[in-house]
Amino acid sequence: MRPRDSAGGVRWLPALALGVACAAQAAPGNDPQVWLQRAAQAARSNSYAGTFVHTNGDRTSTVRITHVSVNGDEQERIEPLDGPPLEIVRRNDEMFCYFPDAQTVRLDRRVTARFFPAILSATTSTLAASYEVKLGRTERVLGYDCQWIRLDPKDSMRFAQRLCSEVGTGLVLRAKTLNERQQVIEQYTFTELKVGPHVARSEVKSIFEARVKKWITDAQPREEAKSVETGWMVASLPTGFQKVTELRRSLPGRPHPVAQLIFSDGIVTLSVFVEPNAPAPRTAEASSEDGTTTFFVRPLGEHLVSVLGEIPLATAQLVGRSVVRRP
Amino acid sequence: MTQDLSSLMDGELAAGEAERTIRACSTSADEKATWYLYHAIGDSMRGQAPRRLAMPDEVIESLKAQPTVLAPRRPLHQSTFARVALAAAASVATIGVVGWIGSQGGSVPAIAKSNSAIQPVANKSNVANPALDVQDYLAAHRQIPSAELYRPVNNRAPTPGR
Repeated sequence: MRPRDSAGGVRWLPALALGVACAAQAAPGNDPQVWLQRAAQAARSNSYAGTFVHTNGDRTSTVRITHVSVNGDEQERIEPLDGPPLEIVRRNDEMFCYFPDAQTVRLDRRVTARFFPAILSATTSTLAASYEVKLGRTERVLGYDCQWIRLDPKDSMRFAQRLCSEVGTGLVLRAKTLNERQQVIEQYTFTELKVGPHVARSEVKSIFEARVKKWITDAQPREEAKSVETGWMVASLPTGFQKVTELRRSLPGRPHPVAQLIFSDGIVTLSVFVEPNAPAPRTAEASSEDGTTTFFVRPLGEHLVSVLGEIPLATAQLVGRSVVRRP
Repeated sequence: MTQDLSSLMDGELAAGEAERTIRACSTSADEKATWYLYHAIGDSMRGQAPRRLAMPDEVIESLKAQPTVLAPRRPLHQSTFARVALAAAASVATIGVVGWIGSQGGSVPAIAKSNSAIQPVANKSNVANPALDVQDYLAAHRQIPSAELYRPVNNRAPTPGR
């Protein structure tokens, strides 16, 4: 898919962006921290509409995203283009997830949800604690000039990240995650994109909403997104990871909500779930890996601890084996 | 029909359609061959050893005609789009990861969804430890509910419409 075919001639030429919008987009120079900060900010403050392909391990999905920033308020529409129809409309942290087939709209509050290109959740100083940040080469991607930002982990507790930041706006057009052997295990890449004020506010409104006369509203996820004391903690948390929140989530087939503790190092998040080890108790540890996603399960007395995140297995094991009751 | 088979493997068919597809599959030699072929492709793409099944000769023949994808789990390559095509062909393309942990103590690569009729042979003796569906945890972690996951909501008492 060539950008000039699909973007309808509204591509921002970086040179033009620099020339016209220079006041707002100061040239970032050679400081990798500044580039990183700019990339994080660009995903929030720019308006853009595009399609990206996400490949993680064996799985691939194509997603349409439209993002508009108005007076500091973010509005976003996300539509996975594979599988049953589904649409997520986001206004800052409020998420509305439409399932036309089930005639259901699910309300939630963004906690861990992370959508490309907004993959940086922390300040650059937090990231600098866990990653060595450097500038890589420049490359032409999707018709735009891009600067690669390299984030190499300072320990073995996380994967390396590569972000391709568009020179004019800072927007990340491509992101890769590498394993310890420098092999790409996850990748996001725009295949079509327009950036700038051409993206109308109407484009971030729900398309599916009008298709169903009477929506069933499920507000339970939004209620459950509130922080609570779960009574559990992680005793040895890898350097750089900080607790985001803890809450209780309903999972299918469980009579009671499950405790969920959420940690982040600024780029990747991990969730720790604790639930009763029933009705058929597991007696041994087990794990599964695919792309960057690692799942580790461990029985703990009458409970079952599950760790899920975009982390190496060793990290999931370290975290999972150090879950204890809060004293 | 092949689309139906593919959907069946992904657990995406309604009960009636699934029954019809399974019946077609168990009566038609062609459908049966396709069924074996899809699983062989799926297994090899997930880096699993091919399961021990008495594979009909025509399956072996059609496998020979397939492009070579029988490599162990590989990292992504530059040729992402070739992989996209392969993934779509074997109908494993979903948003996020599906999979489960079935065996005790072992590491099992992500495989088909838990409500699929297909279970790895190794799991069948493991009744005391039912498969954990990674999808449940993944949906909670990413806050991206799948349509399939959503079904239980109908059993809850939903809040009246907005």
